[in-house]
Amino acid sequence: MSTQFTAVLDALTRLRGVRASMVVDAVDGIAIDSNLQFGQDGNRVAALAGSLYRKACQSAQAAGLGGTGFMQLEADAGRLCILGGDTLVLVVVAERDANVGLIRMEMRRAAQSLA
Amino acid sequence: MISASVEAWVDEPMTRFVRDAGVRLALLLLPSGQVLAQFGFTRAMDVMSACALAAAIHASSAELGRMLDGKPFSGLHAGRVRQLFLAEAQTARGPYIFLTVFDEGSSLGLVRLYCEELKANLAAAAPPPAAIQEPVLDSNFEGELNKNLAVLFGRA
Repeated sequence: MSTQFTAVLDALTRLRGVRASMVVDAVDGIAIDSNLQFGQDGNRVAALAGSLYRKACQSAQAAGLGGTGFMQLEADAGRLCILGGDTLVLVVVAERDANVGLIRMEMRRAAQSLA
Repeated sequence: MISASVEAWVDEPMTRFVRDAGVRLALLLLPSGQVLAQFGFTRAMDVMSACALAAAIHASSAELGRMLDGKPFSGLHAGRVRQLFLAEAQTARGPYIFLTVFDEGSSLGLVRLYCEELKANLAAAAPPPAAIQEPVLDSNFEGELNKNLAVLFGRA
């Protein structure tokens, strides 16, 4: 079943090194649509990534740094890239050697197309 | 914050849920409304009221689910700023009702995620059921309820 997010998620997942992409409700932390590989738990990633993004926003506000746009988490085996808005959060799970600049640019483009 | 349980085996699963999900209040009770564990409540009266209401909501929503869908609803979520989530956990000792209240410090996604873990942890931790389970009668319900509240609030 395709949704208004399918094309955007397909474009993100086609990038080299991207393992998964999803659109998450910014408030509830629930996956709205996702493009996952077999065996990935989208609901778990969505809930935790949504929470992570909210906490990052709160931290930035508390430090007097203003709003948060893009955030990146580096882990041993890969990266989590998150781009947030008021209602939606875009999440990309990528390999460690993926081109983050390209991913970031595509995520911004995707966010604009969804706005 | 006050955290306490009547039966020791629910301690670890409940503590882990509260810590991971970042909720404000949590209650574990029997479908009859008798409390087994609580987190975040400061007054016994509030626990008693919440348990009675949770048991009533659970009973009526389960029946509504049976009427509409042929099986009881598995969870209930309500609220926007201060939100409530109600679910049923099945264990070897029978079903338990789980009620939690959370705000912007958590999210529905997190609560649902860790609620599933809580259900699995409760099922794994539950000791075998007692050989003879006494029915919940009017005559012993209030005594049991008051005994559990006394344990939870340090008056036993």
